[in-house]
Amino acid sequence: MAELLQFIITGITVGMVYALIGLGFVLIWKSSNVANLALGQLVLISSWFTYGMLVQAKFPLWLGFILVILFALALGWLTERIALRPLIAQPILSLITVTLGLGYFIEGLVTFIWPWSVDTLPPLFSTEPLHIGPTVVSQEYLGAAAISLALFILLTLYFRYNKMGIAMRATADDQFAVQACGIPVTTIFSTSWMFACVVAAIGGILMSSIGGITYGLVETGLKSFSVVILGGLDSFIGAIVAGPIIGLAENIGGGFLTPLTWPGVKDIIPFIIIIIVLFVKPYGLFGEVRIERI
Amino acid sequence: MELPCGVRNYTYEQDMAIIRTKTQWGLFIGFLILLFTCPLYWSNYWLSVANLVGITLIAATGLNILTGYCGQLSIGHVSFIAVGAYTTAILTGKLGLPFPAALICSGFSAGFIGLIFGIPSLRVKGFYLAIATIAAQFIIIWVINHWSALTGGFLGIMVPYASIGGFVFKSEASMFYLIMAIAFIGLFYAKNLARTKVGRVFVAIRDNDLAAEVMGVNLFYYKLLAFFIGCFFAGIAGCLFAHWVGFLNAEQFSLGESILYVGMIIIGGLGTTLGPILGVVFVRLLQQLLSVWVIPFMGAAFPLLPAGFTTGLAPMLFGVAIILFLVLEPRGIAHRWALFKAAYRLWPFSY
Repeated sequence: MAELLQFIITGITVGMVYALIGLGFVLIWKSSNVANLALGQLVLISSWFTYGMLVQAKFPLWLGFILVILFALALGWLTERIALRPLIAQPILSLITVTLGLGYFIEGLVTFIWPWSVDTLPPLFSTEPLHIGPTVVSQEYLGAAAISLALFILLTLYFRYNKMGIAMRATADDQFAVQACGIPVTTIFSTSWMFACVVAAIGGILMSSIGGITYGLVETGLKSFSVVILGGLDSFIGAIVAGPIIGLAENIGGGFLTPLTWPGVKDIIPFIIIIIVLFVKPYGLFGEVRIERI
Repeated sequence: MELPCGVRNYTYEQDMAIIRTKTQWGLFIGFLILLFTCPLYWSNYWLSVANLVGITLIAATGLNILTGYCGQLSIGHVSFIAVGAYTTAILTGKLGLPFPAALICSGFSAGFIGLIFGIPSLRVKGFYLAIATIAAQFIIIWVINHWSALTGGFLGIMVPYASIGGFVFKSEASMFYLIMAIAFIGLFYAKNLARTKVGRVFVAIRDNDLAAEVMGVNLFYYKLLAFFIGCFFAGIAGCLFAHWVGFLNAEQFSLGESILYVGMIIIGGLGTTLGPILGVVFVRLLQQLLSVWVIPFMGAAFPLLPAGFTTGLAPMLFGVAIILFLVLEPRGIAHRWALFKAAYRLWPFSY
């Protein structure tokens, strides 16, 4: 029973971080219909940059964070400018492949600058574990969940009330109409990419403070795909709801299935969920069903 | 098909021929002679590079049929290559089946697994299918890693040499002939596939599958057929790879390799038969160039370079190459070659 509670809490918190990273994906998809397959690598490079700032350059925590956010903004802006602006009207295969190429490039860049493959960040929260009932939860997990939730609420409010947020939602809905209204669509693309990179960066920092910086962060990015597929590619609410579901499924399934079947079953559960969702309900729980007409 | 000036087709056979003029025949036979006498004067190193190019070519041709002709994006292709490789490892290594049987079986097994993972293509397209194939990549590699009784798990599995009727393919030269023969057959099949009804149906599905269905194309059957054929090629390539390398490990079949394959067919040119050849040669030669000459050279010339230079440079360059090709020449090298041929034929009126 204590184990179950442990799995539940871990699952929900980790799921919130997956949902946060998935939110970046939904942002880009909603505003520009581009699938950002380089998400895992963006998380990776942001985490390594954080490491570079906090450990190698030994900046204090607050300064390091500001620099990481600035770096993520710059990365998003550069990416959109160089790789995506020239491809605005191309078929989706080109867009997906250019993000693949970008991811490949970023992975190489990370190996180039930080050639050792594993490292840890200095602890961001106190390492005293909290006791909730019979379970022991490290504060990092709770902090990660809290920050994710806070960001979600912030972003939802932003998209509802801020002018730029409303413009982004409008672009996702109908690009031509937005252009007719005089809103520069390219600015919106830039902003959505910058947002997505910042969100990925924060998600990366949270994940690496929990588990250290490894190449597994790329897999975490891929697990975020399962979050967006389950929740629906163009739905923020779907990402929030599906994140904890995937986290729960991963941890509870991993916890109970591992003694029964092979060890490591935990890693594969999100991908099996992807396949099941694509068979059963391809557009996810909250996604908009695409109706195609000739 | 474009022909030089003054060449006219008077019969159906002439119209349908792949090689039409005497010059084309001469070039083709000359190329074949050159290719099959290579092992006489090439060193073992270059023969091994050629073998790798041949194996990659077969797999890339399969991916081209799936993604280039039929439009079903697949970012999990090396997992199907892995299925073929492990099938032949188990069949020839543990069960002792003869090599030709294992070759066919590994093609079929990869084809069927590809079929299963292609079933989502009936409900989703584009990006969703790409995610399904990425999931396929991870699931297949995970199963390979964890089903230790069958596949040796994380430790890998040894593969015996291929042998047809007593002749054992041990040297690079003998593998060269085997691989080139099979690549030749595969490319011929792919070229003809593109020219027949099935090829035209694939292109119709790629361009607009709803319209194709309205015209009477059975989408269910043809999409799955595309997956089967593409992954059959991957299985054959995997079988040859297993016997060429001799030792299999799941690390050889990573997601990065899958992305590289997609990059290869895009750089070469989607939807053409020449495209995979050019893309594969470009990427593999670039890999060899980097690993054998550029990196040691720069490591010796600039000793102050950071330590991650060797492993990091290749992915960076390939990523940049993919992005540059997509931005500047999305139709690939094959398109540039076609433009060059047209300009050459129409000179001096080539504008």
